Amino acid sequence: MVSQTSPMLEDAKPESATERIIERAMKIYQNYILRVLLQAVLTVWAVTSFTFILIRLMPGNPIDVLVEQILVQEGISYEEAYARVASSFQFDPDASTLDQYLDWLGDLIRFDLGESITSPGTKVIDEIARFLPWTVFAVGAGLLISFILGIVLGMAMAYYRNSPLDHLLSLFASFITGIPNYIWGLLIVIILGIQFGLFNVGQLRGTYASDVEIGFNYPFISSALAHAALPIITYVISTLGGWMLNMKSSTMSVLNEDYVNVAEARGLRDSRIISAYVGRNAMLPLFTQLTISIGFVLGSGVVIEEIFVYWGLGHYLFASITTRDYTSMQGVFLILTMTVVMANVLADLGYGLLDPRVRVSGEK
Amino acid sequence: MTRKQKTSDTLANDSLTAIILEIPLNLAKAIWGFLVKISKNRSGFIGFLGLVAYFILTFILPSFIPFDDEANLDEITGPPGSRIQLAVHVDNADVYQSLEDLEGRVVGVVTQTGGPSFIAPYEDTLTVEEFRWSSRRTGPGIQAALTALANQEIDAMLIFSKSVDEVITNQEDPDLKALFDANIVISNPTLGPRHWLGSDTQGRDIGSHIVHGGRILILTAVLGGVISTGIALVFGSLGALLGGTVDNVLTALTNLILAIPRFPLLVVLAGLISFNNTLFLGVLIGVLGWPALMRAIRAQVLSLRERDFVEAAQSLGLGMPHIMFREILPNMISFVIINFIFSITFAMYEQIGLVVLGLAPISDYTWGVMLYFGRTRGTLFNSDGASMALSPVMAIALFQVCLVLFARALEELFDPRLRSGLV
Repeated sequence: MVSQTSPMLEDAKPESATERIIERAMKIYQNYILRVLLQAVLTVWAVTSFTFILIRLMPGNPIDVLVEQILVQEGISYEEAYARVASSFQFDPDASTLDQYLDWLGDLIRFDLGESITSPGTKVIDEIARFLPWTVFAVGAGLLISFILGIVLGMAMAYYRNSPLDHLLSLFASFITGIPNYIWGLLIVIILGIQFGLFNVGQLRGTYASDVEIGFNYPFISSALAHAALPIITYVISTLGGWMLNMKSSTMSVLNEDYVNVAEARGLRDSRIISAYVGRNAMLPLFTQLTISIGFVLGSGVVIEEIFVYWGLGHYLFASITTRDYTSMQGVFLILTMTVVMANVLADLGYGLLDPRVRVSGEK
Repeated sequence: MTRKQKTSDTLANDSLTAIILEIPLNLAKAIWGFLVKISKNRSGFIGFLGLVAYFILTFILPSFIPFDDEANLDEITGPPGSRIQLAVHVDNADVYQSLEDLEGRVVGVVTQTGGPSFIAPYEDTLTVEEFRWSSRRTGPGIQAALTALANQEIDAMLIFSKSVDEVITNQEDPDLKALFDANIVISNPTLGPRHWLGSDTQGRDIGSHIVHGGRILILTAVLGGVISTGIALVFGSLGALLGGTVDNVLTALTNLILAIPRFPLLVVLAGLISFNNTLFLGVLIGVLGWPALMRAIRAQVLSLRERDFVEAAQSLGLGMPHIMFREILPNMISFVIINFIFSITFAMYEQIGLVVLGLAPISDYTWGVMLYFGRTRGTLFNSDGASMALSPVMAIALFQVCLVLFARALEELFDPRLRSGLV
């Protein structure tokens, strides 16, 4: 693409500085990778600005919410409660939304997400750094396990299609995808946890037991795994069926390709055909779906983490929504949007690396 | 034109009856053909039957089963199958089997429970003595009632099966326990109406709530599905057919909305807009839910556009509406229908997710609201009361499974690639 534009540049010699800048900008725009990145940044900006406005349109502000709490708890007059809350918050409810927006944008350019409104002195970025790893751990592990399991089972279904195994697994896959993930979570809690008492629901709240020391030691790791187990199981169950069914149909279309027949005719070992010829090609479309599902699963974490009282990003987001902690909500939305957009960019750029056909047609 | 007019006179009567007969006949034929097709796909047939059952459960049964809105103190968190029983003195175990047998006798009931309303039709024929539910305040409590029964001061007592357990079997006072055990028997354990799914934290029948709680939920989900599929269909085909700026703008808008974390956005919007109407939530979900489907439909239309029959229509100079509605739409209608069903499941997912978080309207007592109250009132931790949360959970889960099974079966029916199995 770049080589196509270079003769044009030689023809039209840039005369003034502005024209040179415009040409440079056009050149940047015509570079595929840069264009994708630029679009990504613009998308993140547009989405966060949109949510910025929405968040401030929500009824009530952080001061009102806390004032109401204090009024209920302590029974003092409204003015007294308001004065107390307003003095402790660094938040001016009368400032215009535009001023707040410009302030926030100015801070954002310096990678400063500001301080939490409801707990003054706490930096939002620190809070996110505290909660995000747990969500990344639970969601990442859940998606990884279900992706691998789904690919193996989906290929098995395609290879043994129309056998009892295929019918059974298809039914199983439809069944588990149909049920919403928070329903799975509740079913696990109600049936396994409470009715059968297989685990203590109360003890598994939070992300790790309070009596262990954070670090690379056995008690911490086992406790973190035990606390994350239920969310991970829920994520695996609720996404597994989709991978299985998609992998099945993808594998079935690959099995019909000529190169598979040729490979069979060449007498290659079955294991090699399955891994290098069928599996690799059938998996390609699923990678795009994996990146899309990251955003979905992260978003649905709000409910899952509330059900299991798992202290991840979703839990933090929900808490800041209920207290109308604008800056914290804003920070979480930024992180979530960035993750989704980044996953899409990786899918766009990475697909070419994985699939040579796309790369070749892109260069034409 | 003239030929038509000639024949129309002679055929007028015939054609009218023919039309009246033919339309339902063709419809029945089409439905029968569909039933035959779907019954060949076992899991799809199960899903279809399940959806029919859900239709009967949520749209027809509510006219026959009244919504139980009466709080009953002794029926709180009754386990599935519990009902009002008849307790009598051990000497009368064989004599008093029903309320008819008790004509002219004294029957005790506990106020503020299901008993008084159950016995009301018989009040002319027998004497009703009321006891208070709690003995802490003035007046005799349920223990006093049972003591009266044990001492044969009253002849029979209406008692809820769970209270029997609590007051007789688990009686802590050893003297009272001995007295009750020796003198009181249940002569008719199946007297009152049965709570098939148990009763909730206010002693109301969960079964009736399940029957009534699905309609608005399903309608909301269908509304969300219709709106999102409609927008996706319009935008997707407009973008693909018109191309150029329209396509660019629509695609950019789609990518933008796809980048918004959808569920958290709904959470914020649910706080922003205070709903009085559950159906409004469906509109909101539909308005946000179209982008992924729009991409898929756009791709479909783009590929269909290249087919020979569309190019033939174009070269014949048939207009855009004709190409869209006569050539392209019929060829992807199955795809749209299947995705419409999937978008219903998404709308269901999102609205109930909001309810579980306590952010959606609770004015309609839907499965989601039952689940919310079941969870927040701690019935999960009470094995007798778990039905309050478990019943809506199962109702939602099975409904979603039926929808998915049905949609997958349609996919296989319509997609020749899958149907042939590619063997």
